[in-house]
Amino acid sequence: MRPVRIYYNKTGKLKYISHLDINRVMLRMIRRGKINVWFTEGFHQHPYVNFALPLSLGFESESEAVDMRINDDMTNDEIMKRLSAVAPDGMEITAVCDPIKKFSEIAYADFYIVIKGECEKELDDFLSQPQIIVEKTTKKGGIKQIDLKEKIVKYSVSAEGGDTALLITLPAGTQENINPNLVLAAFSDDLSIKRVVRRAIYDSEMNIFA
Amino acid sequence: MELSDILLKVQKPARYIGGEQGAVIKDKNNIDVRFAFCFADSYEVGMSHLGMKILYSVANTPDWAWCERVFAPWEDMEAEMRKNNIPLFALESGDKLSDFDIIGFTIPYEMCYTNILNCLDLGGIPLRSSERKDLSPIVIAGGPCTCNPEPLADFIDIFSLGEGEELTLEIMELYRKHKKLGSDKMTFLREAAKLEGVYVPAFYDAEYNADGTIKAFHAKDGAPEKITKRIIKDLDNCHYPDNFVVPYLDIVHDRAVCEIYRGCIRGCRFCQAGYIYRPIREKSPTVANAQAKQLCENTGYDELSLLSLSTSDYSALNELLGCMLPWTEKEKIGLQLPSLRIDNFSDELLQKVASVRKSGLTFAPEAGTQRLRDAINKNVTEKDVMDTCRVAFEGGYTSVKLYFMMGLPTETMEDIEGIANLAQKVVDLYYSLENRPKGKGVSVSVSCATFIPKPFTPFQFEAQDDFATIEEKQKHLRKCIKTRKISVSLHNSGTSLIEAVLARGDRRLCDVIYKAWEKGCKFDGWDEFFNYEKWLEAFDECGLDPAFYANRKREYDEILPWDHIDIGVSKKFLINQDKLAHESVTTPNCRQKCAGCGATKFGEGICREACKNLL
Repeated sequence: MRPVRIYYNKTGKLKYISHLDINRVMLRMIRRGKINVWFTEGFHQHPYVNFALPLSLGFESESEAVDMRINDDMTNDEIMKRLSAVAPDGMEITAVCDPIKKFSEIAYADFYIVIKGECEKELDDFLSQPQIIVEKTTKKGGIKQIDLKEKIVKYSVSAEGGDTALLITLPAGTQENINPNLVLAAFSDDLSIKRVVRRAIYDSEMNIFA
Repeated sequence: MELSDILLKVQKPARYIGGEQGAVIKDKNNIDVRFAFCFADSYEVGMSHLGMKILYSVANTPDWAWCERVFAPWEDMEAEMRKNNIPLFALESGDKLSDFDIIGFTIPYEMCYTNILNCLDLGGIPLRSSERKDLSPIVIAGGPCTCNPEPLADFIDIFSLGEGEELTLEIMELYRKHKKLGSDKMTFLREAAKLEGVYVPAFYDAEYNADGTIKAFHAKDGAPEKITKRIIKDLDNCHYPDNFVVPYLDIVHDRAVCEIYRGCIRGCRFCQAGYIYRPIREKSPTVANAQAKQLCENTGYDELSLLSLSTSDYSALNELLGCMLPWTEKEKIGLQLPSLRIDNFSDELLQKVASVRKSGLTFAPEAGTQRLRDAINKNVTEKDVMDTCRVAFEGGYTSVKLYFMMGLPTETMEDIEGIANLAQKVVDLYYSLENRPKGKGVSVSVSCATFIPKPFTPFQFEAQDDFATIEEKQKHLRKCIKTRKISVSLHNSGTSLIEAVLARGDRRLCDVIYKAWEKGCKFDGWDEFFNYEKWLEAFDECGLDPAFYANRKREYDEILPWDHIDIGVSKKFLINQDKLAHESVTTPNCRQKCAGCGATKFGEGICREACKNLL
């Protein structure tokens, strides 16, 4: 038994598929691709798959990762070939490799966001404020105030063919997670968001997660 | 506004995007016949329906045809679609309903009738057949409810009666021919009416007596007086999908399904499925096993369910399980055996089920006393129930569901008390067992549906209990339950009444359904949407009384709205069975003795075996 990490993109119509649904898709891909994965040993045995980070409904991603364990000596190349053959439209397997870090070490993520219409100036002004206080629901269901400004690692705003593009790096992972929708909602409650794409994930040193 | 602009505003957008694994994509430029296969309920319900999966696969076999799926959008999506002028579309191409040549509905239950109208309307299709003048689109319908097609007669151009694997293709081929010829709609319909199993309601007129019953039913334009349903003679050589469209969403039945036989040997007198799917035809275990294995491989499902009206009546069940258990166990695929009968639920079978996955047990004694069970020909005894429960409890089960019906013909309060008594006996049995599961209590759920008389059953002549009687019986049942170990769930009586009306309705109900839809009725099978008041208003405005359809006992010589349909069982047989019910006399099952229902005329399945034995 050896652990493998699978990286994939989730784009196009797959953005309408929830995280739970993607879990099921992956389980079926494993079966259809005849990948000999390790099953948990409990009352209800099921294939062990562990996803790096959940992705909100409506988001695309170029940096999804899932871990599983392989029972036989199938190579990473072969796993990649087999999963690619059974992946649905919108899912592209980009790499299969041996895991190095734990998913719990993920600390940040890049998001690429396209907002309909020209609002570069307003968005830049908003993000360059010294403080952006918003209310966030905590895991326990309470509400606390946080300063978004100190959470944003970096950002850049640009015009993109009549629309506005924002590239922003935010805390992501089990320790702290800021959904980019929180930033967008603080900016305006009347936005038409064309795309949100998770571009990359990083560890606490801002190294690309692997 | 585009579809993509509204998808993130609605719940579960994955219902509307298509692109699932197994969905069939073709180049529409090379297609002669485009077929929109509609299921007039939510995606999750429709995608669970085996009939649709089979016919989707069948209709996609010719390279000149492309069959796509259409489901009723949920309320929130419908609102967005109407607001933004987005017509109802098919999931594969995203093209609107009006781009299709044939729009086909499968109709598994009466309470989706208003949804059919709503789907057509959302697709920009005129609702009534008479308002659609062109060859395209033709609206066809099939499925169990169409054994009485009359309540939908105004809306549907062609009914396909019986099993659709062959007939659907025949209709599509005929359509293709007439599309090429440039025929008009009437020419096509006249030719279609010559196909065995096709019913074109426009070619028939009903005449009524002063009391509202049917005086006569006339065929015109050379259409046949009697339309006989179609059956598939050889299930082993009949098309069965080797792949399903596998949804992203978690749907109602999300698993591979292996159909093992059609029809039912039992002949429970309330059960429509037990009569309209006759004769019994089995698939051989080797074919069923091979199909199931292929299906699991292609879909990647980790659950497999056998499907039939009564799994344990399959004559080769042990052989089939012998084939299936080795590979399902090895692949860790959960095998489900639904619809097991009490009287032949063996210890050995329980072991086999238990070796896969332990779920709850459900039994359907249907009635509380032996007298009533005999009257409805549910050949199950109290001893059967107790024996099975004992085996189940000793095997580690602690919860049992018992299904009953209320309002059955000849039912008395004594029979209602019998329901409570039987449930109590199951509870007592549990606590009397030495080797019951340690430290656990028992839970018995009693589910009690209101009986709905259906066409082509012996009880098609019977009256449904009226509201007051049902309520009195429900109250009495609750009073008779003495312990919290027993929970009772009862059905909404408004829904049951409307279902009873639609099930045995005639053509005049078309206007009622139309009015109800206009008033906003839809998703009537869902308690949160069902609006009884609006239905009553619709009846009132049409000058019709629901009680005439639901609560009236029919004379045996009355012309019933579905008498021109030949489903395979004769009216004479049904009359005899109804008489036997009133004498509480049972009828042996088809394997024990041929009861002479009439289905031998198809010369297939168990009837052929029975005939052989006679020779």
